[in-house]
Amino acid sequence: MKPLQYSPVSLAVATLLMAANTAQAADGSASARVGDLQYGNALDPGGFGAALMQRDLLGYSLLRAGVSRTPTGDLYTAPSPVPEDQGLGDWRYTNGLELGYITQTGDKDAQFFRQYSDWQNGFALSLAWLDMWKPETGDYLEARASYLSEDDNFLRLRVGRYGDFRVEAFYRNMPHTLTTTAFPLWEGIGSDTLTLPANLTPGNSTPADVKAASDAAARTTLRVTRTRAGVSLEGDMGRGFIGYGALTNEQRNGTRLWGGPFFFNYPFVNNGGVMETVRPIDFSTTDVSAGLRRAGKVWRFNTVYSGSFFRNRKTTFTYENPFVIAPVTGTPAAGILTEGQFSLDPNNDAHNLRVELGRTLPQRGDLSLTAALGTMRQNDPIGLNLNCAAPGQVGISGMPFVVNCADWNTPASLSRSTAQARIDTLLLDAKLSFHPTNTFGWHLELRRYDEDNKLRYQAFNPLTGDYGYITLNGSMGTVVPGEMGLFNPNNPAYWSYPAKIGSFPVGYTDTTAELGGDLQMGYRNTLNVTYTFRRYEPDFREVEYTNEHRIQIALTSRQFAGGTLRASYDYATRNGGDYNYFPYASFYAQSLPGFVMPDTANGEASLFAFTTDAMRKFDLSDRDQHKFRLIYTLPVGEATTLSATAHGQYNSYDTQIGRKGDNATGLTLAWDYQPMPRLTLNASASAAFSKMRWANVADNEGLVASDPGNADPTFGGPKYPLANVWNESDRERSLNANLQFTYQWSRTKLDGGYNLNDSRGRLRYDYASISAISATQQAFAATISQFPDTRYRTHSFDLGITQTLSKQWSARLFGRYEHGKFADWHYTGFDTALAYDHRVYTDRGPATDYDAGLVGLMFRYVP
Amino acid sequence: MRLCFFRRRGTDARPIRRVSALLALALLASHAHLAQAAAPAPTIDLPATNMSGDTSVYREISADLARLAASLPGDGGVAENPGAPGATPIGTATCSACHTQEQLLYSHTTHARAFAAGSGGASAVGSCESCHGPGSLHAGSPTTKGAIISFTHEGGTPVQTQTQACMGCHTGGARQHWLSSVHETRGLSCSDCHNPMARGSPEGLMAKRSINETCAGCHQDVRAKFNRRSHMPLPEGQMSCADCHNPHGSVTKPLLKTDTANGTCYGCHAERRGPMLFEHPPVRENCMNCHDPHGSNQQTLLAAPVPMLCQQCHTAVRHPNDLQTPAGLANGGAPDERLISRACLSCHTTIHGSNNAAGAKFHR
Repeated sequence: MKPLQYSPVSLAVATLLMAANTAQAADGSASARVGDLQYGNALDPGGFGAALMQRDLLGYSLLRAGVSRTPTGDLYTAPSPVPEDQGLGDWRYTNGLELGYITQTGDKDAQFFRQYSDWQNGFALSLAWLDMWKPETGDYLEARASYLSEDDNFLRLRVGRYGDFRVEAFYRNMPHTLTTTAFPLWEGIGSDTLTLPANLTPGNSTPADVKAASDAAARTTLRVTRTRAGVSLEGDMGRGFIGYGALTNEQRNGTRLWGGPFFFNYPFVNNGGVMETVRPIDFSTTDVSAGLRRAGKVWRFNTVYSGSFFRNRKTTFTYENPFVIAPVTGTPAAGILTEGQFSLDPNNDAHNLRVELGRTLPQRGDLSLTAALGTMRQNDPIGLNLNCAAPGQVGISGMPFVVNCADWNTPASLSRSTAQARIDTLLLDAKLSFHPTNTFGWHLELRRYDEDNKLRYQAFNPLTGDYGYITLNGSMGTVVPGEMGLFNPNNPAYWSYPAKIGSFPVGYTDTTAELGGDLQMGYRNTLNVTYTFRRYEPDFREVEYTNEHRIQIALTSRQFAGGTLRASYDYATRNGGDYNYFPYASFYAQSLPGFVMPDTANGEASLFAFTTDAMRKFDLSDRDQHKFRLIYTLPVGEATTLSATAHGQYNSYDTQIGRKGDNATGLTLAWDYQPMPRLTLNASASAAFSKMRWANVADNEGLVASDPGNADPTFGGPKYPLANVWNESDRERSLNANLQFTYQWSRTKLDGGYNLNDSRGRLRYDYASISAISATQQAFAATISQFPDTRYRTHSFDLGITQTLSKQWSARLFGRYEHGKFADWHYTGFDTALAYDHRVYTDRGPATDYDAGLVGLMFRYVP
Repeated sequence: MRLCFFRRRGTDARPIRRVSALLALALLASHAHLAQAAAPAPTIDLPATNMSGDTSVYREISADLARLAASLPGDGGVAENPGAPGATPIGTATCSACHTQEQLLYSHTTHARAFAAGSGGASAVGSCESCHGPGSLHAGSPTTKGAIISFTHEGGTPVQTQTQACMGCHTGGARQHWLSSVHETRGLSCSDCHNPMARGSPEGLMAKRSINETCAGCHQDVRAKFNRRSHMPLPEGQMSCADCHNPHGSVTKPLLKTDTANGTCYGCHAERRGPMLFEHPPVRENCMNCHDPHGSNQQTLLAAPVPMLCQQCHTAVRHPNDLQTPAGLANGGAPDERLISRACLSCHTTIHGSNNAAGAKFHR
């Protein structure tokens, strides 16, 4: 290795260059790019080969023992020996690889064992790397690669010259196993068309037939793989400007669980249809960015354009329905409902241009200005109401609610053919800070973010003159008379139906003003006080605005026993404008000319009150919040760090109906012990508790034809009586314990770890009277108790021994054992059947009790 | 790969570099003995390790360097240390006489290689003091705190001095919003997260083995969340905290890299971006109305079990506002699709938005 040498000439030239050339150190994090900063896998999460790496037993310094600490007091990670580099012409390089064999044991298909880890029996490349550089010029090349499986691997290549430019290219596959216990009823999984097996008839199979087919369905795994590739570059463009850009593409392929609605089954035995289907994932997303920045001693400048282009190769998804959908009237259906359809995620484009400007000011001041303009656009064809073929019909025979497929299965039936959806965004941010004295500083920040939704869509069929849409693949109007979902001012059958006839153009403006001060109290203590005002103005929501006032007090102290304490407390109160429990009237047929109020005197059902007037949605309701966070890091002697983190957040909402409160409290204790570079021991334990409370009130459905009772939103009134109120809470407790150790002899290293996760969720409810309970479940009220707890508990053990075999070779034998238990009432009963009357499900749920493990032998070769 | 705007050092024709070279020559001409020292054998004899406190031996070497530094505009390549106003540079070779192991570990880092190549105007001989400030007082009295810019615990250097030393080169870019960011106001130093003295992580010269481990040093509660039933793939090494957050500051309170929380989510979940023909307001406004992005005890990062999560807002007439009981479970007395498996999402499947004319309530 070439030693660094003292050279006055180089010093002189270099320092002059530094003074004259303001080009700043390059890094890849200036852009707004999300993702691809981490390359690792479950075998080596850090992506650094740390497991097979020996420790440098000399530590960080010959002048003192032990490991250095951060300014806060944490111990740095014990260093690894500097690899011996080799020469190749003017270049120096180090390289190596870690390759071996892995075999699994036990319930290796348990979902939680392989959620993001595509373990395979066979050879695995944990890491291969090449690190080359040219000392005289600063040119470098870095390559890293890993391969656990076809769906779990990465390759990254970087070339550049320090301070001048860098080009990076990567290719990676990232696995996500969604379930390993799927038993789909249909054929064609992974395609955009699911068909029933031959022994089932679309729209005409009995529940027994469906159950038999479901019982016979084969087990399969549903997963998604993200294949990402990209290139990025940045370089010195002269005069201190650095240009940078990136191009990334992701192909996301696989399958995931999906729905399939053909109206309720719960109130209608042997009717309706509810399906858990499997949809395809076949996405391509291309992201581009390009920017320019410059940072001088006074001014800082950055501008970046980001574009994202999402493409879905399967924007329509069709599935066959096995169930008979029949009118409750006992009369025949106008048509057999054999297929359902979804419009899947439409293609979309997004653009964002950000400009940032900063300037150093007197009194250690700084001004930072940011403006960003963005737009999100989508103009895919609008999916059709029905996909049944002409001359078919949907509805109830002999009744005035029958629709012709030909009137609804064509683009001509739409008010326009494409979505023409667009949201424009604007961000403005200005921050001013000064430190007029060494002990006092203040800052002021103003921020405004606006989303302007340009979409205006009215659901109108020019072929029929109907407003609204066909509900639930036509099933709702097939089962219940008058529930097709349509309004027509010229058709007496439809002119009183409160159909939803438009989409909400969701948008908002978020404005924040913050004033803060920092007071240095002696050398070791800093007090921060910040006041923040936030005004949130949503479009077409229950309130026109909310105002939040927040005061935060924070203390950073290095006063106590050489430790560092960071503590903060927030109090925030939020209130808003008058609450309108039903702000969506303009998007319903009632707002259209020609709407005729129901003739309740002649037995027509009156318009219902959409919800009770006591309802407050939690994101907009009045709220008080208390929040605290404590982080204390305490060095003990030369080798130990103790740290504790405590946090709490307590929200109470001023409401009788809706979310009433939520809180979370947690405590973590950690111990880091590094008495010498050869020994490290880390342990931590955490406990987190949370509780969420809410209330609701079941409406009195018996008033459906009552006027004005059915239209009365009064909480405690006839429609929403106090007797129907219910309260519920979800308490969660999560425990985590972790222990890691490493001990190294001269040629042998032993490492291991244990990790415990134990989460429990407890749902509890109470109710004013039995009428709060869903009508079909009331008969069981006397016998039912509370929901069983949800549970997720895993014990995971890791043990490895690494032996240096020669100067070039080392070997590592390692094992992992995981034991898990899981319970979730959503899947209760699925161990015996996935089909219940007119419902059929696909996912049996994660394994309730599993033991899985793997053993591997890896070799590390460093020439 | 060669790009047109990347010019090789030495063949650089940019005026700014020509000026630099001319200035360097002029200065060198005025310091004759330095120019002589620039002859083919650039190294000088190292002094013996001196713990006596007598700095005269170093001053002899550093006097010319000090004059040179004083004659330069700006920082002159040596970080300013207000804690040692009289200190003068002594050069890396002098530092290495004592700090042998540090030098060895450091030699493998990005900084060392960049300095060695003179990248960005740095130099090998100035590299220690480029960050630690002039070393003469420290060399004379190594145990005096603050005599040199120290980046470690109880090193005697205020955090602000530490960060300014780093910002001497690393200003702007990702650190555009460092000032008044939560990490700045909480008194974090760059070296709380980074360790420039050894390469202990694949990139970023992190204080721990990875970005995630480094963040977890303080954010232990967040790390614990990543162990929950549904989580982002951080423990599996597929993601880092810095994929979503910029710890150096941003225009959002949670230090997100994009304008909004949703903008960050769309970075990977572009299919959710739309805009859709029919939008679900809480989805469009903030993904975190329903999801906890770090980890959850529910499926798909949900903040509460379904259908109860939905029932906190959906109190509307008919089916949404009924109390659900275990009788509605699949093996209960009255199975109810509103409760089983995906619950509400069995029917309101396109809850993130629909592009179908019949998708007003996210059924299609």
